[in-house]
Amino acid sequence: MAGLRVIEGGRAAEQPGTPARNLPPGLLAELYEKYAAQVYGRCRWLLRDEHDARDALQEVFVKALRSLNEFRSDASPSTWLLKIATNHCLNTLRAKKATYREQLEAVQRERRQDTEPPERRELVRMLLGAAPAEAQEVAVLYYVDELTQAEIAATLGRSLPTVRKRLREFIAAAREALRIAVPGLELPEGDEP
Amino acid sequence: MRIDLGGPGPACSAARVRRLLAGELAGVEGERVARHVVDCARCQEVQRRVAAEKEDLARAVPFEVFAAGVAEKLALAAPRTPKVLRWAMPFAAAAAVALVAGTALVHRPRAEESESRSSAVRSKGGVSVQVFIQDAQGVRELQGAQVAVGARLQIFLHPSTRKYAAAVLLEPGESSVLYSGVAVQGALPQSFEWTGAGTATLMLVLVDEPLSAATLRSPADAPAGADVLQVPLRR
Repeated sequence: MAGLRVIEGGRAAEQPGTPARNLPPGLLAELYEKYAAQVYGRCRWLLRDEHDARDALQEVFVKALRSLNEFRSDASPSTWLLKIATNHCLNTLRAKKATYREQLEAVQRERRQDTEPPERRELVRMLLGAAPAEAQEVAVLYYVDELTQAEIAATLGRSLPTVRKRLREFIAAAREALRIAVPGLELPEGDEP
Repeated sequence: MRIDLGGPGPACSAARVRRLLAGELAGVEGERVARHVVDCARCQEVQRRVAAEKEDLARAVPFEVFAAGVAEKLALAAPRTPKVLRWAMPFAAAAAVALVAGTALVHRPRAEESESRSSAVRSKGGVSVQVFIQDAQGVRELQGAQVAVGARLQIFLHPSTRKYAAAVLLEPGESSVLYSGVAVQGALPQSFEWTGAGTATLMLVLVDEPLSAATLRSPADAPAGADVLQVPLRR
């Protein structure tokens, strides 16, 4: 007999697969109506592939349904879901070995014909691949969701100094990636956002 | 040319606008943000983006497609091993702050362990695992300590550049898959309680290609070139 057992009342107290049978009527439709668009938007933005984004959207909601108590009790279910979606997509990108260098080089090619700076969110997305894994999530929360450093610390359960450190790591990696791939485009001075 | 990557504004953020639109902001805070959004170009841009996301969703993933996919994935997530694995809740994030690294033995399969393997032994370096225990004494590193009855164990993975991982509990004459999938950085999705006795081993296998965790019954079963980490458990 395998030496493992569930701890009742935990996030996974609902057995895998159980939510499909026990979902309150209308719950899935309600979740879709309220939250699916932003989750799908996040997945599309990070994965840049409609099929992968659709798959990721469903995976994120499966996680939410399997953690329904935690999801419902969170002060901000929308932030909770975006965090899950971001994590899921960043891990997917890592597994696929995201090609941020090629994307930055494309930015450089386009810049030769266009004096406008690249779109800010798109640039952040490309630069994520240059940063350490733990800095990527913090960067999305700061630059895209625009959470304050204190809000990020609370969301991730990390200390404020750790969040600052991760942001510095992201900026250092982004600056170096731009220096190599897009000369002429640089970030503001300083190692703090 | 210098480009500012952005960040939170002095009085607004994309997340706050999303929370407002999702009905998550109530009372004074909700009223304040609602008033602010009316005159804030940044927040109105977020509103436009939210509206565009809704149109994208309706076009690309209608509710019926969404619901069918979720139901299918829930069904697929059901236990597949004959010895049903049962998972425990993850540690609270606040408790995790107090965690300290556990210890692990690192083993890389040698070519001679399997005739079918390549002779190449690959090490990407930097792969490590941390195991934390939560029991009546609180949360701390495992470090070879005895696992009390009822204690919860959480695995934190540091996969370096490895892309896929499997976590397997090895007990005498038996193996149980704890995790199989993308090599996540940090805590595996769920923690667990070991209900066995005597000794057991947590085995982590990290590779660059998808692997079948169900076939992992010892370190020798790991694919050639994999990083294999073992954490002994005792009671």
